This record gives sequence, structure tokens and C-alpha cells, in this order.
Amino acid sequence: MLRLLIEKELRETIGTTKFAVTFAVCALLILLAFYVGARNYQVSQSEYEAAKAENLKQMEGLTDWNQVDHRIFLPPQPLATLVSGISNDIGRTVEVRTRGELRPQDSRFNADPIYAVFRFLDLEFIFSIVLSLFAILFAYDAVNGEKERGTLRLAFANAVPRDTYIMGKLIGAFLALSVPLLIPILLGCLLLPLLGVPMAGGDWVRLGMLILSGYLYLGVFLTLSVFVSALTEHSSSSFLLMLVIWIFAVLIIPRTAVLVAGRAVDVPSIDQISYEKNRYNAQLWAEDREKMNTYWRENPPSQDAPREEVMLKFRSFMTELSDAREANARELAGRLNEDRLNREQVQQRIALSIARLSPASVFSLASSDLAGTSLDLKQRYLEAANAYQQMYEAFIREKTGSSGGFMIMIGGQSEKEPDPIDPMELPAFEYKQPETASFVEKSMLDLGLLLVFNLVFFAGAFITFLRYDVR
Amino acid sequence: METPVPMSDASTAPAAAASRPMLEAVGLSKRYEDGHLALDNMSFQVYPGQVYAMLGGNGAGKTTTINLFLNFIEPTEGEARVDGIVTHREPLKAKERIAYVSENVMLYPNFTAMQNLDFFARLGGKTKYTKEDYRKVLLRVGLEEAAHNRRLKGFSKGMRQKCGIAIAILKDAPAILLDEPTSGLDPKAGLEFIRLLHDLRAEGKAILMSTHDIFRAKEISDIVGIMNGGKLVMQRTHDDLEGENLETLYVQYMAGYMEEVG
Repeated sequence: MLRLLIEKELRETIGTTKFAVTFAVCALLILLAFYVGARNYQVSQSEYEAAKAENLKQMEGLTDWNQVDHRIFLPPQPLATLVSGISNDIGRTVEVRTRGELRPQDSRFNADPIYAVFRFLDLEFIFSIVLSLFAILFAYDAVNGEKERGTLRLAFANAVPRDTYIMGKLIGAFLALSVPLLIPILLGCLLLPLLGVPMAGGDWVRLGMLILSGYLYLGVFLTLSVFVSALTEHSSSSFLLMLVIWIFAVLIIPRTAVLVAGRAVDVPSIDQISYEKNRYNAQLWAEDREKMNTYWRENPPSQDAPREEVMLKFRSFMTELSDAREANARELAGRLNEDRLNREQVQQRIALSIARLSPASVFSLASSDLAGTSLDLKQRYLEAANAYQQMYEAFIREKTGSSGGFMIMIGGQSEKEPDPIDPMELPAFEYKQPETASFVEKSMLDLGLLLVFNLVFFAGAFITFLRYDVR
Repeated sequence: METPVPMSDASTAPAAAASRPMLEAVGLSKRYEDGHLALDNMSFQVYPGQVYAMLGGNGAGKTTTINLFLNFIEPTEGEARVDGIVTHREPLKAKERIAYVSENVMLYPNFTAMQNLDFFARLGGKTKYTKEDYRKVLLRVGLEEAAHNRRLKGFSKGMRQKCGIAIAILKDAPAILLDEPTSGLDPKAGLEFIRLLHDLRAEGKAILMSTHDIFRAKEISDIVGIMNGGKLVMQRTHDDLEGENLETLYVQYMAGYMEEVG
């Protein structure tokens, strides 16, 4: 009986022109998303290689490491091809100095602002927007449509248990939509390595889970549509209601969550923080200038003292001052940054908690976590850049005897031309993705929530139908 | 004071030789949640090989009676029995013995006539039918062969009705419930339907039919029941109706009821 009902659902859905047209559009969009994603990866990869080469090239001919203007770059992430997340919004380049705060700049959207307007066509967009509508389109009249057609009366004039019927309907509807969609998705997966996206074992696991989360999301709208269809008398009502729910879930709740969280927690802006830091730095400079004056008053250069010795002593004093100033500035910056980060995290937690009322947000969070393009990407990149900064500072200190800051050139023009620096000696920056398990673990909450949404709406549809008036 | 309802014993009607009724309403009443009494203490029997026609206007309780036999609703009082099985106690068992044709058969518009028949036959537990069986039954109900493999979305109401009747025939159940079965059928198809009912009666089916069509009811039925306001106000066998004008009787009983209510 269950098999018969599932077969009927499959045949009823797949055999329609509506399905053929919708499926063709979705299949095309999915393949396009994989193709565009892979092409974007290729472009990003060549831009990344070119930027790295350019960085080394501009060091050619320099003879002093202190003159180096060194940059590091965020390599493109293979799965960002499918779920761009925040990867296009955050800066890809960090100008590395031996001291001071690092700030990523030159985001993809900064370089190509047109994409910021229309965004990229990625798999997350297709699932989140297109496939959720696809699910609604095919399930909004699952129950009340049958009642309107009179087929429900006819079916239940037979010895059909209601639980079997609704199970058949839910399973059949899900299979009818999900199995055909698997074809373009698998084809798209094959395209990735063919188009030069290096997919490691862990990437495939994450991609598999990404598709699973997409299917769970599709299931949410499917079960919800059946549920609403069993709650309402007319298919026109259930369609309208589902559209309203969709608008809230996809467009309103995520944006409202951010607005509410923004109102609830006051996070100082970057400019405010910079103003605080600059003011403190200016104050430190003023104090150091006073100390420098004091130094010369207390240590007036005598006529017979060798100039180099005087300058060495002064340089040592200045380095001490500079280190102390840097430490103070760093301490304040650290405090301000930490405070901002804490507030930002509280704000994010509130925003995410509210946003998670919407399955669309939950899917978005799960997919970006799995793709490694969630909000954490910026933090991970900054942490990697900060760790590199320490290596870089040690390297420059080793090469120049100083870690930058206040520079005093000692000695006159040497007769011997200084040797050019070798940029290849620079420590290499490697951005390492966390382990696959870490991505998976991070996405578990949202995957679990998607499952809960499915179960709740499934149970809702099931229980409502058991008491449904089939007349 | 209650007006006595002129009733004749259904068991005395032709073809009522079987030991027990296939369809039986015993003191059947239905009051909806809004307080409306849709059916009031209705009792009748339909034996195998009998056709029982329920006549009455809109809201008379005909469809409510059929819904109670199909257990789409539960009675407030009394019982609807199919082959002795109380429908609201053992609905699945009772439904195994019922075939049903509704007033507006829509079926699945994207399925062909054959596919619709196949699905509903299998749903009714008949899994061994072949395409040839479907073809034969569709021809029997008067659906031309060219339409058998066409999707139903292009079918007229009458063609869909024929498919619905074919589905009921395929189920081969001992009891058949027909809710306004001739609605949408043209005169020729209506005649074919009457012939079909004769055949089904001859096969021993117990048929309960709700209809507005007084002439066809008189022509085919072994028993005619006139319903009004949820009550069975008259019940006569075919023999009792010999020489009587059913239309006049119908108007009289309806008017009488209206006066009583007024």
C-alpha cells in the first residue's frame, strides 16, 4: 500500500509539464552554479598566484629588509565556489608589518563592486531561494488539492489507513523532488575536478554534507507545505500562506534578527576604536617626545665622543621607548579589540539565535560552516595573519637587528654596494583550513535544527491528517 | 406530534431473499458541532441484488448518509452497517466491502484513464487486473477506446463520471454507494448507466444511490426513500409505486414536511 502511494506521488509529480519545466530550470541553475563557482575559483586562484608573485617582485632590487612592503594573501577556498558565504566580503590581502594591527583589505566585492550588487549564483542561493520555492510549488496542495479534486474521498472509500496515506504522500513528494535533483548535483560535482578545483578527501565529505543539508532544507519546506495544506481548506489559501511563510523565513527573519541584535547590543564601530587608539598613540608620542628632550638634556653629546657611539646609545634608547610605546599601544588596542570582539560576539549570538527561527538562516549557517566560509573565516584568517606577523617580526629582527618602529640610520655612505635582499628568504604564509571534523562539528547544531524542523513539520502534517475531514 | 411515515418493508422487495442486509442504517443520526441535525433517526436496509434510491433536495441528508457508511464522519447515534460490520467501529474492514462513486469525479488529471483505474483498483486491493481488464471495463461504462490512454485533464464531466463508475466496478465490492451518479451524464450515457445498474443488481450487488432524478429512481430502484430535513419521510418498494406518480408523491411529501416544519 505504502509503495503504491509513493509510486502514485512520484508519477503524479514527475509526469507533469510543470515539473518538466521547473526541473529543467533548476537543473540548469545547479549546473550553472557549479560551473560559475569553478570558474570563479580559477580566476581567484590565478589572481592569488599573481598577487603573490607581484609581492615578491616588488621586493626585487631592495637592499634593506626595512624597506620591504610585504603582503600576505588568503588563498581561495575550494568549497567557496559553491557557498561563497563571507569569502567575497572580507579582505583577501593583509599588509604585514612587524608591529601594529593587521587589517585585511581588498575584498572581492571591493575589487568588483558589481558582484556586490547582484551577488554570485551559488549552490546556497539556489537551495535557499529557488529550491524552497520549488518545494512549495509542488506540495502546497498536497492534501487540500486532493480534497478539491475529490480524489481524497475516492481514496478513503477504500480500506486505506490514514497514517499510510500521509506517509506515502510525504515520502513520495520528497523522492519526486529530490531524486531528479540529484542528477544535476552529481554532474556538477564531477565538473569541479574537471574544471581544476582541487578537491581533497575532506572537501568531498563536506560537499556531501552540504548536499545533505540542502536536502534537509528542501524537506523542511516540503513537510511544512504538506502540513499547511492539511491545515487549510483551499489550495489557494495554503499557497498564499506558504508564500507569506517563505517571505518571512527567507527575507524577513534573518534581516530582523540582525536589526534586533544591533539594537540590543551596542558595538563600537571600527572608526570609534581607531579614534581611541590614535588618540592614545598621540598621547604616547607626546610623552616620548618629552622623554627624548629629557634624554638629550641629561646626555648632551660631548665634542670628543664618537658620533657613532652617541647615535648607537640614542638608538638603543629610542628602541626601548618605541618598544614600550608599542607595548602600551598594543595593550590598549588589545583591550579595545577584545571589548569590541566580546560585544560583537554577544550581538552575533543574539542575531543567530533569532535568525535560527528561520530554516533559511539555519541552512545558510550550516552550509557556510561546511564550506568554511562562515563568519569564522575572517577570524581564522586574522589569527593566521597575526601568527605570521610574529614570525615575520622575528625574521626582520634577525635580519636587521631591529623590529622596525623608530629607525635611525647610522654611518655614512658605505663604499661597498649593499647586497640585495632575497625575498625567498621570507617565511612563507600558509593559511591552513581546520580539519574536516571541525567543520562538521561546527555545522552539527544547524544540521540538527534542520532535522528538528523536518520532524516537527512531518509530525504536524501527520497528526493533522489523521484528523483531517476528507469529505 | 410526529406524523407517521408511510414505510414498506424493504425485505419484501424483490431480490431480498438474502439472509441479511448488505447495507443497513439503524437509528442513524448525525448532529454536527454547530448543532445542526443533519440526519435524524434514519433506518433502512439494502439487501444484495437491491437498488435503494434516496431522493431529496439539497441538505436532505443523502450525502450525510453516504458519508456515514464511508465513515468520513461518525454518527451521533445509531449505526451504519456494511455486511453486518459497524462502519465506525471497523472502518477499514467495512470499506473493503464498499465501492463508491461520487458526484463530481475528478480523479488525477495528469493520469490517463487507464492509470487512474490501475491506481484505484490497486488501492482497493485488486492487484491482478491487466490492461485488457481495464479496457473492457472502460468500454462497458461507455468510454470510447481512443480516450483510454488520454490524460483526464481533457475529459468532460461525463467522461470522468464514466471512469469513476469503472473504478467502482473494478473494485467488485458487494455494496456500491452512488452519490448523484448521473450528474453530468448526457441522456444516452444516462441510459447506459441505468443498464449498467441493472447488470450490477443482477450480479447481486447492494446499491445505495442518492439522486435528484425522480424518473430514473423509479425506473431502476427496488426501494425509494424520500428524505427531507435529515429524516426519511417516505419509503416505498418498486411494487408499491406501481401506478403511482412518484413526482407527485415527492412534491406532496416535501410540501407536507414543509408545512409541518412551518
